[in-house]
Amino acid sequence: MITGIEVGPTHTDAAVLTDAAVPWATAKVPSVPGDPVASVRHALAALPEHPRTQVAVGLRGLAQALDERRGLAKVGVLRIGGPAAQAVRPLFGWPAGLRDAVCAGTAIVEGGGGFDAAEWTPLDTGAVAAFAAGLASRADAIAITGVFSPVDGAQERQAADIIHRELGDAVHVSLSGELGPLGLLERENTTVLDAALHRPTADLADGLRAAIGGTATVLVTRGDGTLMGLDHLRRHPGLGLGGGLAGTLRGAATLTGLADAVVADAGEHRVRVAALTAGFPQQALDAQISGVPVGFWMPDVIRVARGGPRAHHDLAEAVDRMQPAAGRLPLIVVGGAAADVPAALPGVSEIRHPEHGAVAGAIGAASSPVGGQAERIVRLDPRTGLQAALDEVREEARASAVRAGADPRRVQVSEVTQTPLPYLPSVTLRLHARASGPAHPL
Amino acid sequence: MTLLDGGTLPTFARGCAVLGSGGGGGVDVVLAAALQAVADHGPVPVLQPEDLDATALVMPCGVIGSPAVGAERIGGGTEAQVLRDTVERLHGAPVAALMSSEIGGSNGCHAVAWAARLGLPLVDADAMGRAFPRMNQNAMELAGIAPTPCVLTDERGRTVVLDHVDGRWLERLARGVLEAFGGQAATSEYVLRAGQVRTAAVPGSVSRALAIGTALADGVPDEFSNTLPDEPGGGLDRLITGKISTVDRTGAGATAAIVEGLGPDAGRLLRLEAQSEYLAAFEDGRPLILVPDIIAVLDTRTAAAIDVERLRYGLRVSVLALPCAPVWNTPEGRRLGGPAAFGLDAAVTSSSAVMPGGVIPETAR
Repeated sequence: MITGIEVGPTHTDAAVLTDAAVPWATAKVPSVPGDPVASVRHALAALPEHPRTQVAVGLRGLAQALDERRGLAKVGVLRIGGPAAQAVRPLFGWPAGLRDAVCAGTAIVEGGGGFDAAEWTPLDTGAVAAFAAGLASRADAIAITGVFSPVDGAQERQAADIIHRELGDAVHVSLSGELGPLGLLERENTTVLDAALHRPTADLADGLRAAIGGTATVLVTRGDGTLMGLDHLRRHPGLGLGGGLAGTLRGAATLTGLADAVVADAGEHRVRVAALTAGFPQQALDAQISGVPVGFWMPDVIRVARGGPRAHHDLAEAVDRMQPAAGRLPLIVVGGAAADVPAALPGVSEIRHPEHGAVAGAIGAASSPVGGQAERIVRLDPRTGLQAALDEVREEARASAVRAGADPRRVQVSEVTQTPLPYLPSVTLRLHARASGPAHPL
Repeated sequence: MTLLDGGTLPTFARGCAVLGSGGGGGVDVVLAAALQAVADHGPVPVLQPEDLDATALVMPCGVIGSPAVGAERIGGGTEAQVLRDTVERLHGAPVAALMSSEIGGSNGCHAVAWAARLGLPLVDADAMGRAFPRMNQNAMELAGIAPTPCVLTDERGRTVVLDHVDGRWLERLARGVLEAFGGQAATSEYVLRAGQVRTAAVPGSVSRALAIGTALADGVPDEFSNTLPDEPGGGLDRLITGKISTVDRTGAGATAAIVEGLGPDAGRLLRLEAQSEYLAAFEDGRPLILVPDIIAVLDTRTAAAIDVERLRYGLRVSVLALPCAPVWNTPEGRRLGGPAAFGLDAAVTSSSAVMPGGVIPETAR
């Protein structure tokens, strides 16, 4: 049996699923404000006695930690790119309060490259060491962002080695090439916030481990709708952003059997409208956290008020905006206030109110696989065939899922999506693969 | 005198995005670069051509290449300095002011960032009055100004000078250099004298971008008060407000989309045809507007310009039309920047198959 828990702002939901993914028991308890671990403990206590082999927790508080600047790590921000990366300095345009809470110092050092291996400039290793030495005792974490690192992450890894040599292995290092696609400033923001979250997520991981106890496998939700183990959360804290909503979307899919749908999650005050594509959340393209544009894989969401004279109109418009084409997909309504959403909305072909929808977040956490993703940008030339690149990105996705806690014997890799990048002289493709499988029973 | 500073730059950038006609590259990163440059070096004065000595050298400048590369190599270290030093050496005269080579999209903001870094003023003009995909699609080409010597440089000062070529060969050779530079280069070409700007370039472009940005400061208004095309922000016209109801990307770089009217426009359908920029808008089979006139698709709520590659189903948009600079309304202008330059000849007379490989959906619900 698998236990799922979602810690919301007012209530914490829990569900136990049988091995056939059928709800066996559910519970709803008030959340303990500001203490997700205590909320999890109360929700577990409210469930009937059952074998606790795997517990998956829906994460929702990480964005709040950033908004409230609570417990964040001090981050040294290292950019690799020399004169190719000077026009906008690191953290320019950030809200001053967040910048002050997070930033331990910044530097731009020589290095970085382009699509072609011949374009790369060697990393200024001395400048990296000097930056690290200057941060000793001031930084808890380092965020490294190199120009064109999504094409080749070697210089970022080289810089990380130098930093560990200078500051010891305990300092947390986040690498941008592992976190986002092309787009230096957005990827750097993503990397800095990832590094800043490593302290609150480490506390959370310790707390969950202790609260759940025993030998149960403990997992948390990710923004892409999959799960990861606690060690993976410690290494890649930002992957948990958006995990609560993603788990709710997955729950809507599990309860209805629909892989493609629009989902409305009706809460106390607001309705969150999002979409499922092939069983997983549709990704936001312009995600912002605390006013900072980021590239984390988080669900695309429109929030509308639940009450008021225009509530139904706004909801219908939000549902339409989430559709891939006019009125094509059904609407699944879940959440504590699902009953208040009317049975018909203009432009919506079909509305489903699934049983147990009030605890969809917990059901999604319990029913999601452990996941991994890999992205790679390749420039096609006669020497590097497409097939080799496809195999490589598939293998990377598989390895990423295994690192997140998936059983290596049962991981499945999705089709690789190929997106051509425009306005370039030779054929350049962005390859993306996802992998998922059940948790490794350890 | 107009100053571009931290207060006016976002307004200016909003206007540049509208003048991009859906292309020219997103303005966000380069706006940030311009904001940082004026914060570090002070605001940029915007001069009329007559404020300068008629023989003073004006340096058109901008960035060519792939937006994907520009999002990564954000530049800023040396390219403005290298362009100016090289242009001064080749022309044997000091550069008195910069001019954007393309007001539409990101290049409108590049020129501001570089002017701030160099401590030079910006001329209230540009080379296109909008965005175009090719380097030689500009007013100076039509006026017979020599495109060369043309300077291309990367962020590390590696520099190529092209000389003794016409506009067509400039485009051809520059694309070769661009590839060697990894997909992006900072360039200056069609260098001219201040006394030539009013007749050979597109005067008033900076003022126009500012006026358009101001007109859209509080979202898309129901009516634009200033409809006289001769006024700086004049001639803005709302074609339709509605939602994107289909988007067809047809492979060969062409995009077709349908805007379905909402509210007062309910029942109307507008068809957009695009390549790198929006090129035409049709209603009931008849063109309402064609390139080189400018088509902007804006988010109805925020007035943010939505470029061609970001069009998708369900967006609530307002489609605006703006007249192009008068230089494009000549027979030579039409040939260089009109429908025929984009393979759209048939569009003027026929309502079907206007794009090479284009697909026109039969219905839009």
